[in-house]
Amino acid sequence: MSVALRLTGVHKSFGGHAVLRGIELALAPGKRLGLIGPAAAGKSVICKLACGLDTADQGEIEVLGEALAHRSESSLGGLRRRIGMLFQSYALFDFLTVAQNVAFPLEQRGGLSADAMATKVADRVRAVGLHGSEQKLTSELSGGMKKRVGIARATVADPELVIYDEPTAGLDPVTTQKIYDLLAADQARTGASVLAVSSDVVALARFVDEIAFLHAGVIRYRGPAATIADAPDPLVRQFVRGELTGPLDEAPT
Amino acid sequence: MITRIGASAVSAVRASRELWMVFVSTIAGLLRRRSAPRGELARQLHAIGNKSLLFIAVTLGFIGMVMTYQACLQLGKVTGDYTRVGSQFLRLIVSDFGPTLTAMMLATRVGAGIAAELGSMKVTEQIDALRMSGVLPIDYLIVPRFVACVIMTLVLTIAGSLVMFAAGGLTATVSFGVNPQTFFDLGAVRPRHLIMLAVKAGAYGAAIPVVAGFCGLRARGSSEGVGWATTAAVIGSSFSVIILDFVISAGALWVTGGDL
Repeated sequence: MSVALRLTGVHKSFGGHAVLRGIELALAPGKRLGLIGPAAAGKSVICKLACGLDTADQGEIEVLGEALAHRSESSLGGLRRRIGMLFQSYALFDFLTVAQNVAFPLEQRGGLSADAMATKVADRVRAVGLHGSEQKLTSELSGGMKKRVGIARATVADPELVIYDEPTAGLDPVTTQKIYDLLAADQARTGASVLAVSSDVVALARFVDEIAFLHAGVIRYRGPAATIADAPDPLVRQFVRGELTGPLDEAPT
Repeated sequence: MITRIGASAVSAVRASRELWMVFVSTIAGLLRRRSAPRGELARQLHAIGNKSLLFIAVTLGFIGMVMTYQACLQLGKVTGDYTRVGSQFLRLIVSDFGPTLTAMMLATRVGAGIAAELGSMKVTEQIDALRMSGVLPIDYLIVPRFVACVIMTLVLTIAGSLVMFAAGGLTATVSFGVNPQTFFDLGAVRPRHLIMLAVKAGAYGAAIPVVAGFCGLRARGSSEGVGWATTAAVIGSSFSVIILDFVISAGALWVTGGDL
């Protein structure tokens, strides 16, 4: 497998509005790539396209060595089980407890005894700092706790590719750092490839190897995370530094 | 104007095709027999059947009273002969009113519930989370409701029909002095009427969760989308009951050569 994820010339429109206009993006196995961009730029759309949850209007998407084009829903099941996804809105099952949510991907995957599954779930819940909350319903959890359950569910089956859509949105700086430490430890343990979308560029830059900047439907810039604030593109610099005036205001969206 | 009509027609055709695909996928999921969580069928049987029993019994009981009262009132003005009221009323209940009125009530209670549940799962991305675990949402969510609804529509139809007939008999006896033995005459009911009851109850029981599930899975946006899906499910499943009633009744008339 040469790449964990590759999008080639991907276009996507919603109601006549072109959101993605020829995305070129590749993620090498075992690497961490951050994706940033203004609100409504299409970052979450890329995440969903990468999992086959939505289809591209044009272009090719290859995930873990498999092309997604013309695949039926049932044929995508096996591939999706190799991917972990943290949804921006958590997407926790509100009819299940914390432990049942985390166990869900393992149950659907099969092949583990009930004891082995319970041990794995308990380990994962402890790792995300939710020990003691196993039997709580998701409605009883705070936003940060829900994120942690989402992370535990996304990573419990040790997927080869993990996609985090806004893993720290709405969290305080301390919790944000804890979450990224957790994600980094997980990635180091499993060697999974990671695509992380975040608006918190500073925290994200400490976690990923590279950052890609999505703007006006295309990947405008890609470079090392450590130097993203000094990127040669003034548009990226303004976005990362949060400057109120600059080329971002005049650029087409 | 023409463009708008054309767009609406295309949208309607597309929706019909998607509804058909939900039905086909439900049948395929039923044959695959996998994915549904353990104990889900029992939960759905309870939610659809037990929790609707009182609602169905009370509604059909009152309708039975009103219908018998009106029938006796009109007969009293014309002939004054009540001897065939009970037997003909029972024939009507078994061949049409029992299953159809039960299903109309279920369409409002169960259809709305299914659409609201699935719609809220859709807008909160729980359906996508299911798909990410390799689960087919139709197998997991609609198939158990489909099986439970088919079984319970038949059970509730029988229960509702009995209550309707009993309530009608009580009304005829108390209000018009009809002899109970005369009213509770089963002679007009033939096996073909019982077959009609079973076919209609089965068809309605299949249609309600498919239409409601389809509406729920099409929900978009936020709570407004769930509201739209719920409304559409009640209208759509009630409408499907009426259409199926017409189709099955017409088919039965054709098969029996009009001798129903």
